[in-house]
Amino acid sequence: MDEMKPQTPQVLLHPDQRVGANMARWRKSGGGDAISIAAGNPDRVREQVRLAELRGLGGSGFPAWRKWEAVAAEKPNPDKYVVVNGNEDEPGTFKDRLLLEETPHQVIEGAVVTALAVGANRVVFYVNPDLSRSLAAMRIALEQWKTSDLTAQASTALGKPLDLLLCPGSGHYIGGEETAAMEWIEGRFPFPRGKPPYPAQSGIKGCPTLINNVETLAYVSHIAKHGADWFRALGKAPGLGTKLYSLSGDVLYPGVFELPKGTSLRELVYTHGGGLLSGKPLKAVFTGGPSSTLLTPADLDVALDFDSLRARGSSLGTGAMIVISEGTGIVKRVAEYERFFAHSSCGQCNSCKTGTATMSQLLDRIDTGRGTESDLSILKNLCAMLPNSGRCHLVNGAAMLLDSAFRHFHDEFVQAVARAPARFGGASRG
Amino acid sequence: MRSGTLLKQALESYRSDADVGPLPPPVDTDSLLNTFHPDHLRGSVVKLGVGVNAGDSCQRDLADLLQTEAYIDEADLAGTPVTDVDVLVIGGGGAGCAAALAAAEKGARVLLATKLRLGDSNTVMAEGGIQASIEPDDSVQKHIQDTLRGGHHAGNPSLVASMAEDGPDVLRWLIHLGMQFELTASGDLQTRRAGGMSASRLVYCRDYTGLEMMRVLREAVIQHRSIEVWEQSPAVELLSNEFGLKCVGAVLTSLIDGQMRIVRTRSVILATGGLGRLHLNGFATSNHLGATGDGLVLAYRIGAKLCELDSFQYHPTGLVYPSHLSGKLVTEGVRAAGALLLNANGNRFIDELQPRDIVCAAILRECQEGRGVRIDDERVGVWLDTPRLEQTQPGLLERQFPNLMSRTKGSGLDPRTQPLLVHPTLHYQNGGVIIDTSGASTVPGLYAVGEVAGGIHGRNRIMGNALLEIICFGRRAGYAATAKRDRGPKKVTLEHINQLRRALTLAKMPMTRRAPQILPAYAKGGLWTR
Repeated sequence: MDEMKPQTPQVLLHPDQRVGANMARWRKSGGGDAISIAAGNPDRVREQVRLAELRGLGGSGFPAWRKWEAVAAEKPNPDKYVVVNGNEDEPGTFKDRLLLEETPHQVIEGAVVTALAVGANRVVFYVNPDLSRSLAAMRIALEQWKTSDLTAQASTALGKPLDLLLCPGSGHYIGGEETAAMEWIEGRFPFPRGKPPYPAQSGIKGCPTLINNVETLAYVSHIAKHGADWFRALGKAPGLGTKLYSLSGDVLYPGVFELPKGTSLRELVYTHGGGLLSGKPLKAVFTGGPSSTLLTPADLDVALDFDSLRARGSSLGTGAMIVISEGTGIVKRVAEYERFFAHSSCGQCNSCKTGTATMSQLLDRIDTGRGTESDLSILKNLCAMLPNSGRCHLVNGAAMLLDSAFRHFHDEFVQAVARAPARFGGASRG
Repeated sequence: MRSGTLLKQALESYRSDADVGPLPPPVDTDSLLNTFHPDHLRGSVVKLGVGVNAGDSCQRDLADLLQTEAYIDEADLAGTPVTDVDVLVIGGGGAGCAAALAAAEKGARVLLATKLRLGDSNTVMAEGGIQASIEPDDSVQKHIQDTLRGGHHAGNPSLVASMAEDGPDVLRWLIHLGMQFELTASGDLQTRRAGGMSASRLVYCRDYTGLEMMRVLREAVIQHRSIEVWEQSPAVELLSNEFGLKCVGAVLTSLIDGQMRIVRTRSVILATGGLGRLHLNGFATSNHLGATGDGLVLAYRIGAKLCELDSFQYHPTGLVYPSHLSGKLVTEGVRAAGALLLNANGNRFIDELQPRDIVCAAILRECQEGRGVRIDDERVGVWLDTPRLEQTQPGLLERQFPNLMSRTKGSGLDPRTQPLLVHPTLHYQNGGVIIDTSGASTVPGLYAVGEVAGGIHGRNRIMGNALLEIICFGRRAGYAATAKRDRGPKKVTLEHINQLRRALTLAKMPMTRRAPQILPAYAKGGLWTR
């Protein structure tokens, strides 16, 4: 089956990298080489990452080099931190767990190269506690690093001992937000902090802190080794480099695919995913991440990169694509997502706490055939009111998803309300 | 006309005081089973093509059900009401009730959903009794050995040990619920010995032990304030988490209005019973109307591993005549009390207290080799010599087997004067969902208890272990299902159905038929077909 698929450049998921926590095997195929490059010339690594236009792949798409430059410019106070964010918890996203479980050394190498590039002496691997196999692999791999010459080499270059720490997260979705992660690492409940100050100035224990997603940092060692031009050329213009896509839902072959950034949705679903199950037509695709939206069959030929999707009013997010075929109710799916957001809200900001809970309740009511037209109009108002009303992006994501569902599948919501039996007082409330 | 003696002729030549002749020398049991037992019929067994048991042997009719399209699609769930509970028990027989009571005892909110009515099950048909090693000359060890030997050493020793150890405590629990048993003159529990037992171990209540058990279980369930019962609500699909790896609920439908309902829960306990109504190999069955193997289908789809799918128990003495009682059991207790099996020539042909599969194969041998009593082309059997039992122990039939007496009386038969014509009947599913000693299947959140579970009886069950097993593992699963207090399911999906569809597509298998079956085709009357 595999030979039918077109050859794609494999960086992160190359078989040489997928050796689990077996350090000897990983070193044999060139693993660890980037450490000496970065130790020799950290500024060049930063330069290459900037030229490669590496983006934050945890959902934001924020240019990684900007955070890097900001942290590199700060003085240690007395330490500097790099946090590897592996709190992956969004529906349909399962790329980081794969990287941590199957390529722990690649992730650690990327993080150490980053630490060298920005001058950080402490690296924290912050991992979702539910990913037990990822945690186990990282635990073994980090033990190997502690006694390895690579760590010694990095420490010498930094002029301080390099500290590698594994920190299982709290198990909350909101713990993936960068400032929330820092709160948890400092030993408190993961409430997101207000910004500024930004983590680059004052992060963990007031020290300058760089926080990037697992996938983002995993690319760093490869960029350090092969250069920015090599990385840029891997993508399909205008996309640069490769990207991991988590494909799930009603497709024949779900899984994680490493494809050139800018690959079309059609190629992902029909070529790599083997098409839809039972030959049904495509209805929609939920893109995962903190700002989930819906793609429809009209978007099949759109390139899956940050800018192309943003131009369509959607978002690449974490690269999760949950495929829905005809015969699936959108209302139920959206209700499930909103329940997830309501369940995940930390409750710190009122608008998010009550907003997501209200959206979830109203959608549940509509989905179970008890909704009214006034429920629909309340939901529409919430979509307009809620965005940007919280400290973090959770409430924006909740509103954007519903707004996107209204835009594409308004009829289904209207039908669900029309199906509801007439209730006393229901009409006058509408 | 096929060989055998016609009923009228055989009845005329039958005499209850005739010499039955010596027992023939024992034959090699392996060759007897291999030649005559229905599990070994040529062409009846196929290899499974998809799922966790791919490559394993399975009865053809069952394989056809396990490898089918789901009964429902995502679209069926639009607008479906959702109910949240701690534990969902699917099945209202003995195992389901025991599990529900145990879970509720631990403070869980329990929903018990049953396809027909509470107590419509095979439990009520269990006549013989329940095993527990309580006699001075008996031991748990002997019980374990008998069970393993009876199952041809295919059973899981740790499951068998758990069951045998729990035996006395299960009796105590049932007595506390109010169940009646036969007592000796001094007030001890009366025991008797049945096929495959090395000691007197069968505790019973006349010839309706299961009915009595169900009576008290049903009362206890109805009265328990933490248990809600939904009748006529069969499960049509389980629900999984977003990765299809954990069971987080089920979709129930209503036989009354067809409305679907989603139940979201931490644990699902499957207690759906067996599959006699699939009539494997064309056999009549002793099972109740709802025994269509739904639990096996649901469990297999969500990824639970099954075992011994090619091994079924055919009870040696199912009635052949009168025809409306075809397949109905004559309890093994009658043989345990001393009734003999005779062929059309009036001769014994097997030690009646051998394990069930051997007795069954011997009866089929007599019928196939022309020593059976024949009614027509289809129906043939051998005599169960009840008049001789009445002669040697007058009044015993009426005293100990009132159920049999009333059932035959209604058909104008008197077992005291006329022998009963019997033939093996599809009785029990030996295998099923693989479980551990707490009833947990290989899928997190999914438990299986009772006949739907496997691994206890190996390839043959000895009498009295079914009633023990349902209570023992029912309670164990009920307790275990409440032990984990996690935050409950985040998302309930049909992802495991997608996994099944992927596997079927890749194996190029048809997706035309839908399962679970819910009711046998002849009982649907146009309902429940898609």
